[in-house]
Amino acid sequence: MKRRYLGVIILAGILLMNIIFTQYMVHQYYYENYENVLIFGGLNIVLFPLAVFAYKKTINMRA
Amino acid sequence: MSDKNNKIPFNEDNYTHNIERNNERKLDRRGFMKTLVGAAGVFAVSSLPWGAVAAKELMGLGEKEYPHKKITDVSKLPIGDAVEFKFPGDHDDAILIRLSDNKYVAYQNACTHLRCPVFWVKEQGEMICPCHHGKFDVKTGAPTAGPPRRPLPEIQVKVEKDAIYAVRVKRYEA
Repeated sequence: MKRRYLGVIILAGILLMNIIFTQYMVHQYYYENYENVLIFGGLNIVLFPLAVFAYKKTINMRA
Repeated sequence: MSDKNNKIPFNEDNYTHNIERNNERKLDRRGFMKTLVGAAGVFAVSSLPWGAVAAKELMGLGEKEYPHKKITDVSKLPIGDAVEFKFPGDHDDAILIRLSDNKYVAYQNACTHLRCPVFWVKEQGEMICPCHHGKFDVKTGAPTAGPPRRPLPEIQVKVEKDAIYAVRVKRYEA
Protein backbone atom coordinates (compact mmCIF):
# COMPACT_ATOMS: atom_id res chain seq x y z
CA MET A 1 0.00 0.00 0.00
CA LYS A 2 1.50 3.26 -1.12
CA ARG A 3 0.81 6.04 1.27
CA ARG A 4 -0.19 9.50 0.12
CA TYR A 5 0.53 12.24 2.56
CA LEU A 6 -0.65 15.16 0.43
CA GLY A 7 -3.95 15.45 2.31
CA VAL A 8 -2.26 15.37 5.68
CA ILE A 9 0.19 18.04 4.56
CA ILE A 10 -2.56 20.29 3.22
CA LEU A 11 -4.63 19.91 6.39
CA ALA A 12 -1.63 20.57 8.61
CA GLY A 13 -0.99 23.74 6.57
CA ILE A 14 -4.60 24.81 7.02
CA LEU A 15 -4.30 24.26 10.75
CA LEU A 16 -1.11 26.30 10.85
CA MET A 17 -2.91 29.15 9.07
CA ASN A 18 -5.76 28.77 11.59
CA ILE A 19 -3.32 29.29 14.44
CA ILE A 20 -1.74 32.32 12.76
CA PHE A 21 -5.08 33.95 11.96
CA THR A 22 -6.36 33.35 15.47
CA GLN A 23 -3.27 34.94 16.96
CA TYR A 24 -3.63 37.96 14.64
CA MET A 25 -7.33 38.20 15.40
CA VAL A 26 -6.85 38.29 19.16
CA HIS A 27 -3.99 40.76 18.96
CA GLN A 28 -5.83 43.06 16.58
CA TYR A 29 -8.79 42.95 18.92
CA TYR A 30 -6.72 44.27 21.79
CA TYR A 31 -5.15 46.87 19.50
CA GLU A 32 -8.76 47.86 18.73
CA ASN A 33 -8.41 47.48 14.97
CA TYR A 34 -11.81 45.89 14.71
CA GLU A 35 -11.92 45.69 10.91
CA ASN A 36 -8.87 43.45 11.00
CA VAL A 37 -10.53 41.27 13.65
CA LEU A 38 -13.43 40.69 11.28
CA ILE A 39 -11.08 39.97 8.37
CA PHE A 40 -9.04 37.38 10.26
CA GLY A 41 -12.10 35.87 11.91
CA GLY A 42 -13.67 35.52 8.47
CA LEU A 43 -10.52 33.89 7.12
CA ASN A 44 -10.60 31.47 10.06
CA ILE A 45 -14.17 30.51 9.25
CA VAL A 46 -13.44 30.15 5.52
CA LEU A 47 -10.62 27.74 6.33
CA PHE A 48 -13.04 25.18 7.79
CA PRO A 49 -15.00 24.38 4.58
CA LEU A 50 -11.65 24.49 2.83
CA ALA A 51 -10.39 21.80 5.21
CA VAL A 52 -13.48 19.65 4.61
CA PHE A 53 -12.97 20.08 0.88
CA ALA A 54 -9.31 19.12 1.10
CA TYR A 55 -10.21 16.05 3.18
CA LYS A 56 -12.81 14.84 0.70
CA LYS A 57 -10.57 15.47 -2.29
CA THR A 58 -7.55 13.65 -0.95
CA ILE A 59 -9.01 10.82 1.10
CA ASN A 60 -9.69 8.47 -1.82
CA MET A 61 -6.90 9.66 -4.01
CA ARG A 62 -5.12 6.77 -5.70
CA ALA A 63 -1.43 6.87 -6.04
CA MET B 1 -15.92 -17.01 22.11
CA SER B 2 -16.89 -15.90 18.67
CA ASP B 3 -16.79 -18.51 15.98
CA LYS B 4 -16.99 -16.14 13.07
CA ASN B 5 -13.63 -17.33 11.80
CA ASN B 6 -14.40 -20.97 12.46
CA LYS B 7 -16.04 -21.67 9.14
CA ILE B 8 -14.50 -23.02 6.03
CA PRO B 9 -13.82 -20.88 4.14
CA PHE B 10 -13.80 -18.55 7.08
CA ASN B 11 -15.31 -15.12 6.86
CA GLU B 12 -12.21 -13.06 6.60
CA ASP B 13 -12.60 -9.45 7.54
CA ASN B 14 -9.06 -8.43 8.22
CA TYR B 15 -5.91 -8.91 6.29
CA THR B 16 -3.63 -10.58 8.72
CA HIS B 17 -5.76 -12.54 11.25
CA ASN B 18 -3.47 -11.68 14.09
CA ILE B 19 -4.37 -8.03 14.69
CA GLU B 20 -7.26 -8.03 17.09
CA ARG B 21 -6.87 -5.00 19.28
CA ASN B 22 -9.57 -2.62 20.23
CA ASN B 23 -9.68 0.61 18.25
CA GLU B 24 -6.74 -0.41 16.17
CA ARG B 25 -8.08 1.51 13.18
CA LYS B 26 -8.94 4.58 15.16
CA LEU B 27 -5.86 6.68 14.55
CA ASP B 28 -4.93 5.70 11.06
CA ARG B 29 -4.26 8.39 8.49
CA ARG B 30 -7.94 8.87 7.70
CA GLY B 31 -8.85 9.29 11.36
CA PHE B 32 -5.97 11.69 11.83
CA MET B 33 -7.17 13.80 8.91
CA LYS B 34 -10.66 13.84 10.38
CA THR B 35 -9.17 15.13 13.62
CA LEU B 36 -7.39 17.89 11.70
CA VAL B 37 -10.62 18.91 9.96
CA GLY B 38 -12.39 18.92 13.32
CA ALA B 39 -9.68 21.14 14.78
CA ALA B 40 -10.16 23.56 11.88
CA GLY B 41 -13.86 23.58 12.76
CA VAL B 42 -13.07 24.35 16.39
CA PHE B 43 -10.93 27.29 15.26
CA ALA B 44 -13.74 28.54 13.04
CA VAL B 45 -16.33 28.35 15.81
CA SER B 46 -14.05 29.91 18.40
CA SER B 47 -13.40 32.93 16.19
CA LEU B 48 -17.12 33.73 16.06
CA PRO B 49 -17.36 35.47 19.47
CA TRP B 50 -14.33 37.63 18.64
CA GLY B 51 -15.99 38.66 15.41
CA ALA B 52 -19.20 39.39 17.31
CA VAL B 53 -17.60 41.68 19.88
CA ALA B 54 -15.53 43.37 17.15
CA ALA B 55 -18.68 44.02 15.13
CA LYS B 56 -20.36 45.35 18.25
CA GLU B 57 -17.48 47.78 18.80
CA LEU B 58 -17.54 48.80 15.15
CA MET B 59 -21.22 49.65 15.36
CA GLY B 60 -20.38 51.95 18.25
CA LEU B 61 -22.17 50.04 20.98
CA GLY B 62 -18.98 49.84 23.02
CA GLU B 63 -18.47 53.60 22.93
CA LYS B 64 -21.05 54.31 25.60
CA GLU B 65 -20.34 56.58 28.48
CA TYR B 66 -20.43 54.95 31.86
CA PRO B 67 -22.10 56.58 34.82
CA HIS B 68 -19.58 58.80 36.55
CA LYS B 69 -18.14 57.12 39.56
CA LYS B 70 -16.61 58.78 42.54
CA ILE B 71 -13.13 57.46 43.25
CA THR B 72 -12.02 59.37 46.32
CA ASP B 73 -11.81 62.81 47.86
CA VAL B 74 -8.99 65.16 46.87
CA SER B 75 -8.04 65.65 50.51
CA LYS B 76 -7.52 61.93 51.03
CA LEU B 77 -4.99 61.59 48.21
CA PRO B 78 -1.63 63.29 48.81
CA ILE B 79 0.56 64.20 45.84
CA GLY B 80 2.48 61.18 44.61
CA ASP B 81 0.09 58.66 46.06
CA ALA B 82 -2.17 56.22 44.30
CA VAL B 83 -5.51 54.69 45.04
CA GLU B 84 -7.10 51.66 43.46
CA PHE B 85 -10.68 51.57 42.35
CA LYS B 86 -13.00 49.69 40.02
CA PHE B 87 -14.13 51.19 36.75
CA PRO B 88 -16.26 50.80 34.70
CA GLY B 89 -17.39 47.39 35.99
CA ASP B 90 -17.03 45.86 39.40
CA HIS B 91 -14.28 43.58 38.17
CA ASP B 92 -12.25 46.09 36.15
CA ASP B 93 -9.37 47.08 38.38
CA ALA B 94 -8.06 50.57 37.92
CA ILE B 95 -5.56 52.86 39.60
CA LEU B 96 -5.59 56.60 40.12
CA ILE B 97 -2.30 58.44 40.66
CA ARG B 98 -1.97 62.03 41.75
CA LEU B 99 1.11 63.46 40.03
CA SER B 100 0.86 67.07 41.15
CA ASP B 101 -1.63 69.53 42.55
CA ASN B 102 -4.05 69.35 39.66
CA LYS B 103 -2.68 66.51 37.60
CA TYR B 104 -4.31 63.13 37.99
CA VAL B 105 -3.86 60.10 35.81
CA ALA B 106 -5.90 56.92 35.92
CA TYR B 107 -5.48 53.64 34.10
CA GLN B 108 -7.08 50.27 34.03
CA ASN B 109 -4.25 48.49 35.76
CA ALA B 110 -4.51 45.01 34.29
CA CYS B 111 -1.11 44.58 32.66
CA THR B 112 -1.41 44.34 28.89
CA HIS B 113 0.86 41.33 28.91
CA LEU B 114 -0.97 38.79 31.06
CA ARG B 115 -3.32 40.95 33.11
CA CYS B 116 -1.50 41.02 36.40
CA PRO B 117 -2.31 44.09 38.48
CA VAL B 118 0.08 46.92 37.76
CA PHE B 119 0.96 49.05 40.78
CA TRP B 120 2.51 52.45 41.32
CA VAL B 121 6.00 52.70 42.79
CA LYS B 122 6.32 56.19 44.16
CA GLU B 123 10.06 56.07 44.78
CA GLN B 124 10.92 55.03 41.23
CA GLY B 125 8.20 57.08 39.60
CA GLU B 126 6.93 54.29 37.39
CA MET B 127 4.20 51.72 37.22
CA ILE B 128 5.40 48.15 37.60
CA CYS B 129 3.81 44.82 36.88
CA PRO B 130 5.10 42.32 39.45
CA CYS B 131 4.65 39.22 37.31
CA HIS B 132 7.30 39.81 34.64
CA HIS B 133 8.66 43.22 35.57
CA GLY B 134 6.78 45.10 32.91
CA LYS B 135 7.02 48.85 33.36
CA PHE B 136 4.70 51.59 32.20
CA ASP B 137 5.17 55.30 31.80
CA VAL B 138 2.98 56.98 34.35
CA LYS B 139 2.18 60.01 32.19
CA THR B 140 0.94 58.15 29.13
CA GLY B 141 0.47 54.54 30.17
CA ALA B 142 2.84 53.44 27.41
CA PRO B 143 4.96 50.37 28.11
CA THR B 144 8.62 51.21 28.71
CA ALA B 145 10.16 47.88 29.69
CA GLY B 146 9.42 44.21 29.93
CA PRO B 147 7.03 42.04 27.97
CA PRO B 148 3.96 44.31 27.57
CA ARG B 149 3.64 45.94 24.16
CA ARG B 150 0.35 47.82 24.42
CA PRO B 151 -0.37 50.85 26.59
CA LEU B 152 -2.66 50.66 29.59
CA PRO B 153 -6.16 51.92 28.80
CA GLU B 154 -6.45 55.41 30.24
CA ILE B 155 -9.43 56.54 32.24
CA GLN B 156 -10.51 60.16 32.03
CA VAL B 157 -11.03 61.70 35.43
CA LYS B 158 -12.74 64.86 36.52
CA VAL B 159 -12.39 66.84 39.73
CA GLU B 160 -15.60 68.28 41.04
CA LYS B 161 -16.23 69.79 44.46
CA ASP B 162 -13.11 68.26 46.03
CA ALA B 163 -13.91 64.79 44.81
CA ILE B 164 -12.41 62.84 41.91
CA TYR B 165 -14.69 61.11 39.47
CA ALA B 166 -13.96 58.55 36.78
CA VAL B 167 -15.68 59.64 33.59
CA ARG B 168 -14.86 57.28 30.75
CA VAL B 169 -12.28 54.89 29.36
CA LYS B 170 -10.24 56.41 26.54
CA ARG B 171 -9.76 54.61 23.27
CA TYR B 172 -6.34 53.62 22.11
CA GLU B 173 -4.84 55.85 19.49
CA ALA B 174 -3.37 53.09 17.39
